[in-house]
Amino acid sequence: MHALLLTIFAAACGGDGAEEGAQEGDRPEPQGSATRIISLVPSATLTLREIGAADRLVGRTDFDTGAWVADLPSVGGGLEPNLEAIVSLRPDLVVRFAGSQDRRTPARLDDLGIPHIAVRPDRVEDVLETVRVLGRATGLEASAAELVARIEAGLAEVEERVRPHPRKRVAYVLGGTPPWVAGPGTYIHELVTLAGGDNVFSDLGELYAGVSPEEIRSREIDVVLVSGTDVFDPSLAPDARIEIVDESIEIPGPHLADAALQLAELIHGPLAPASP
Amino acid sequence: MSRWTLGVGLLIATLVSVLLSVRLGSVPLTTAEVLAALGGNGDPVVQDIVLRLRLPRVFLGVLVGGGLAIAGATFQALLRNPLAEPYILGISGGASVGAVLVLAFGWVAAGSWALPLAAFAGAVLAIVLVFRVATATGRAMDVRVLLLAGVVVAAFFSACIAFILAISPARTVQSAVLWIMGSLAGATWRSVLLTAVYTTPAVLLLVAMARPLNLLAIGEETAHHLGADVERVKRISLVVAALITASGVAVAGVIGFVGLVVPHAVRLVIGSDHRALLPLSFLAGAAFLTLADLGARLALAPTEIPIGVITAFVGVPFFLVLLRRSVATP
Amino acid sequence: MRLTAEGLVVRYPGSDRPALDDVSMDVPSGSLYAVLGPNGSGKSSLMRALLGLLPTERGRVEIDGRPVTAWERRELARAVGAVTQSESISFPLTTRELVAMGRYPYLGPLERERDRDREAIERALVSCDLTELAGRDVTTLSGGEFQRARLARALAQEPRALVLDEPTASLDIGHEMTILELLRSSADSGMTVLLITHGLDMAARFADRLLLLSRGVVAAEGTPGDVVREDILRAVYGWPLAVHADPTTGAPRVTPLASG
Repeated sequence: MHALLLTIFAAACGGDGAEEGAQEGDRPEPQGSATRIISLVPSATLTLREIGAADRLVGRTDFDTGAWVADLPSVGGGLEPNLEAIVSLRPDLVVRFAGSQDRRTPARLDDLGIPHIAVRPDRVEDVLETVRVLGRATGLEASAAELVARIEAGLAEVEERVRPHPRKRVAYVLGGTPPWVAGPGTYIHELVTLAGGDNVFSDLGELYAGVSPEEIRSREIDVVLVSGTDVFDPSLAPDARIEIVDESIEIPGPHLADAALQLAELIHGPLAPASP
Repeated sequence: MSRWTLGVGLLIATLVSVLLSVRLGSVPLTTAEVLAALGGNGDPVVQDIVLRLRLPRVFLGVLVGGGLAIAGATFQALLRNPLAEPYILGISGGASVGAVLVLAFGWVAAGSWALPLAAFAGAVLAIVLVFRVATATGRAMDVRVLLLAGVVVAAFFSACIAFILAISPARTVQSAVLWIMGSLAGATWRSVLLTAVYTTPAVLLLVAMARPLNLLAIGEETAHHLGADVERVKRISLVVAALITASGVAVAGVIGFVGLVVPHAVRLVIGSDHRALLPLSFLAGAAFLTLADLGARLALAPTEIPIGVITAFVGVPFFLVLLRRSVATP
Repeated sequence: MRLTAEGLVVRYPGSDRPALDDVSMDVPSGSLYAVLGPNGSGKSSLMRALLGLLPTERGRVEIDGRPVTAWERRELARAVGAVTQSESISFPLTTRELVAMGRYPYLGPLERERDRDREAIERALVSCDLTELAGRDVTTLSGGEFQRARLARALAQEPRALVLDEPTASLDIGHEMTILELLRSSADSGMTVLLITHGLDMAARFADRLLLLSRGVVAAEGTPGDVVREDILRAVYGWPLAVHADPTTGAPRVTPLASG
């Protein structure tokens, strides 16, 4: 059984985004106009597209599944990618995950003399910062600033449109046994809050945690958002509306205002129209 | 301590842990509220918590804990190996492959029974595979081959899991890790009923075979000379113990250490007469797992920690002490 | 109770040489029969074939005129008690519990020991000098004590025949004599005793007849005087030796000589 667990924990380390270390400040950030870019961070890949750098991408990861990148060669996973594949694509910039999950890749990229920058896609603020960083790295500062403004405007619009609606008590369930829910330190919590919901599990001390089923039953919940295909036992929240969420909104990225709008509509139903 | 004293003690311990587990939980309730809910009165939320969440969970803990412990005692006797445990024949590996497949391919959506069913099927597949290997060599089933085949099959399943997870998204990995750590949180009356229908006759059958198991525990040739039908007893009890384990793993995931540690503890007190060892292991396993689940629910409430963490935290130190004792007395 | 084998051939799977080749013997009630032979000569295989644990390729094995395979397992265990060469116990068990296992063939699955059973267990403990060790954990017994406990378990079966594989191998001279005298007197009172042993002198002294095996074949069979002979033993054991009559007992006595 132990070998089994080890195997799985090893695999699990390929999981969620970095949790420590913001933008790493110990190295000068590559500036200028990178033209051959490999993004190891799927949300950064999307951001690059949004700021008009899609044609500079020369590689992708197995987790970039959009049709527009399907023709690019893959370098494997975003953590511990295939270095040979990276070298063979002769990139002048690699965008990688910040944090300590993959210590090998930055060291090897340094050895190989390949410039790289780290981004961290964990929070709403991280997404905006990533846009700015990528703008500077590609020399597309103007369109990056425009994208930041667009996202901020989108968020402001969501905020405005949910304002007339009374705030709802929301539980965001990621499935599992016991049910895993999003806690206060998560991107999902931020999105739910932006979408006019109050996370009923904002008292959790963790990012995500499995909670006793009786906690769900005993808390007053208006809407349970269930992510993806995971099964949630509706009898745990008989008075709540249960909505299935497309789990793609859980990945922070340039579309975050759309994600917030989508959540807001799930939480409140049809929203008040946007003011002109 | 006599076996009767221990039996009465364990019965009381099981009863107390059952009562505590109904009384306590992450949502604080008063005794009056719990009693009212048990009587079908009071706040519907409290009724739901007590009658639909806590009670089935406690019963499932009793059945799975007791089942794992009695299966462990049986495997230890049959394999004449004190280190044998319920998952020894690659059962946890097979069950995990089933569960991980369901999680990876999103078949959970097919219904809440997809995962336990797949886990059960995987466990049974492992058992069949290992048995076929162990009996392929001749008429008789060789327990050494059985042990080796179990280890090898487990390693193979481990590789299967690593492969499936390597090509799965992070969410699947997380769910798989959680499932493998085990939990009683998914208990429903339906899962209790199914486990009971399964476990009760299996436990009775094992207890009825206690006497031939006594003989098998000291050696197959000797058991044969003393009049036991060795092959038959071996096959029936192995299959029964393996199926108890499979049904437990299907509803509660892989919960370690109960099946290893509990029979040892009982043996230390009353010796290895399986007529007493098997039923008392059931009781002790039931009490142990119920209390471990209570710990899992209360330690960091409202967050639950995996029950396997509790059983390991209690089981490992206990087992090391046990090991020291057995080394000290040759 | 008569134990007989006729033209017995036994072969282990995958082996080209049979473990037993055309072995015949006849052990009538009330006799002590010793099976001798060098290591690997087939002594233990003979015991296992005799008790139905090894399939026979050819020949017959009969207990009281009935093929051993026709005996129901528990019925056979009530008739024949067996002590194998070795046994290792991994779990705590008292001496009394070990001896009480001899009552297995008399009890139903859920039946408790009755007075009859307890008496048989007590008698077996007494005859093997184990009463003081009855409560001890068998894993703490000395080699000789454990061997006696296993013999007592076979006696608790209240059998009419005993088959023993080197039961005195790790016993001191006093306990060895106790056991052999017990076996001799059991035989004298009608029990059939088949004793597998390396002890040529003791076999020659206590047994009625001897069977000497060599590489699965019968090298000699007969009274101690017929079998314990210099020429036969030299050939079978491949070692120079001398045989004299023991001045005290009169039985033949073997003295191995130096290899020169």
